[in-house]
Amino acid sequence: MINAIRAELVKMRSMPGVWVTFGLALPLTVLVILGVLAGAGGFPGHTFYFVQTLRQRRELLGAGYFAIEILAPIAGVLCVTGEYRHKTITTTLVLTPVRTRVLAAKVSVTALWSIFIALLTLVAVAAVALPWNAALGGVTSQVTDQVGAVVPGLLLSAVLLGLFGLGFGTLVKNQVAAILLTIGGTLILEALLVALAKAIFHYNLNWLPNAAGAALAGDIARGFGGGGGRNALQLLTWWQGGLVMLLWGLVPLTLGYFTTFRRDVT
Amino acid sequence: MTAGATTRGLPIEISGLSKHFGPVLAVDDLSFTVAPGRVTGFLGPNGSGKTTTLRMLLGLVHPSAGTATIGGRNYWDLDNPSSTVGAVLEATSFHPARRARTHLLMAARAGGHDDARADEVLELVGLTGDAKRKVGGFSMGMRQRLELATALIGDPDVLILDEPSNGLDPQGIAWLRDFMRYLAGEGRTVLVSSHLLSEMAQTIDDAVIVSFGQLKAQGTLEQITSNLTGVVMRARTPEADRLCAVLTEAHVAFRRLGHDEVAMDGVTPEQVGPLLASKQIILYELTQEGADLESVFLSLTAGLGFGDVAAHA
Repeated sequence: MINAIRAELVKMRSMPGVWVTFGLALPLTVLVILGVLAGAGGFPGHTFYFVQTLRQRRELLGAGYFAIEILAPIAGVLCVTGEYRHKTITTTLVLTPVRTRVLAAKVSVTALWSIFIALLTLVAVAAVALPWNAALGGVTSQVTDQVGAVVPGLLLSAVLLGLFGLGFGTLVKNQVAAILLTIGGTLILEALLVALAKAIFHYNLNWLPNAAGAALAGDIARGFGGGGGRNALQLLTWWQGGLVMLLWGLVPLTLGYFTTFRRDVT
Repeated sequence: MTAGATTRGLPIEISGLSKHFGPVLAVDDLSFTVAPGRVTGFLGPNGSGKTTTLRMLLGLVHPSAGTATIGGRNYWDLDNPSSTVGAVLEATSFHPARRARTHLLMAARAGGHDDARADEVLELVGLTGDAKRKVGGFSMGMRQRLELATALIGDPDVLILDEPSNGLDPQGIAWLRDFMRYLAGEGRTVLVSSHLLSEMAQTIDDAVIVSFGQLKAQGTLEQITSNLTGVVMRARTPEADRLCAVLTEAHVAFRRLGHDEVAMDGVTPEQVGPLLASKQIILYELTQEGADLESVFLSLTAGLGFGDVAAHA
């Protein structure tokens, strides 16, 4: 198992997609930091203001969630679909013939990749958000005091969002289709479904991936997927969100294993 | 590698192996064995089930029936697969952005081997100078060498090579031939599939010939060719087209050698003489030749050329 993980790590670091996700994590996080500080004052005419409320402080710390909810599923998708796209699955399975072992190694490496994306977003927060907030007159310790409340949920949601991408990548196999399904599905379709469920059925559709991820992250991180819908949602508790996210990863992964990954490699 | 060792190989045993792809029977109750210390050619026309058989042996394709074992064990049950078996399956299974050495580093780590092994096998296949180049820029021959290097990463006892000379230049083919002989000389088991029969004839000790997924012959090269001596008839005629039509009608395997020359396989002068006389074919020359691997192959596979079997499947 350790050997399979070590091999997957070598693959990961030699995939251009990894570096693209790392590279995008910073600007996407900075984009959200801009949004949080722009809205912190709440006064018309004020461009930027330091964060004041507890929610705002946590939103500033969790500014990376937007990047994570996009990039972690992509990481998971790339980790498995790249094997089929470049036909490297043959070499992979010849070197490690026990397929469950290969998939377990991919789960581990996707988790690591997702955590690294999350850590990069925290670097962006530390390098941009905190100094900027301080320059605007905010007290840095009031923000950093919230690390315990924000960071564990952020990291855990990154891992589960990565698993979600890996699951759909295993199930769908086609790289473009899998990315469209995970990102397009969660960012566009989910927002649409949440809004429709609310408007038509007055139903609180809070168990779809993005809303579940947001619940796990503590409903403090600003994301994109819920859009207007998420703000109107009553989210699950963090542990319920985590459990639902786990299912959103494990169910497609299990289905993908039995329907796709276990199939003949011809 | 220790030159002179004679006991390090493991036998390959294929027993009652079958594979259905939907309605197509790709491999049909195939059984044969491959002995250590010898180079065994796995020969058959395109679509005859060679690649499917090798993939079943490596656990990539699930058999519909039968077993394929290495040293009596399934490939996936081996304690350290890459130390036991090295496989060259296709020269396209590389990430184009990955450097040659990185690819081998990945293979070394997957098998639990030392990282230094990547450099050793690069040197072994003559790619040391290209170690830092991305595989996407490699020629077919270089990819083939890299695939071979991947197979050798664990210094395996068994080598399984599927069309390894594809894309290699004449020097590369000669090198590969010597390399396979060297490995077999060390006692390793070498199973190689190829459609280059003249090349195979210079390389292999034993042959397994398949057609339509079924075993047609197995034995040493001498045994196989000696069983079919005198089966090649070569005719020179100004009516080569008409001769081919007559042979097709009579279900005689043949090869068109030139505009006025045809080789007929699996027939004797007593069979072909009356046939051509009855059709009043003008002959300038009719000679009988000793059987070679190619003529044996063609007679056993019913004269089907490459691609023909697939069309019949």
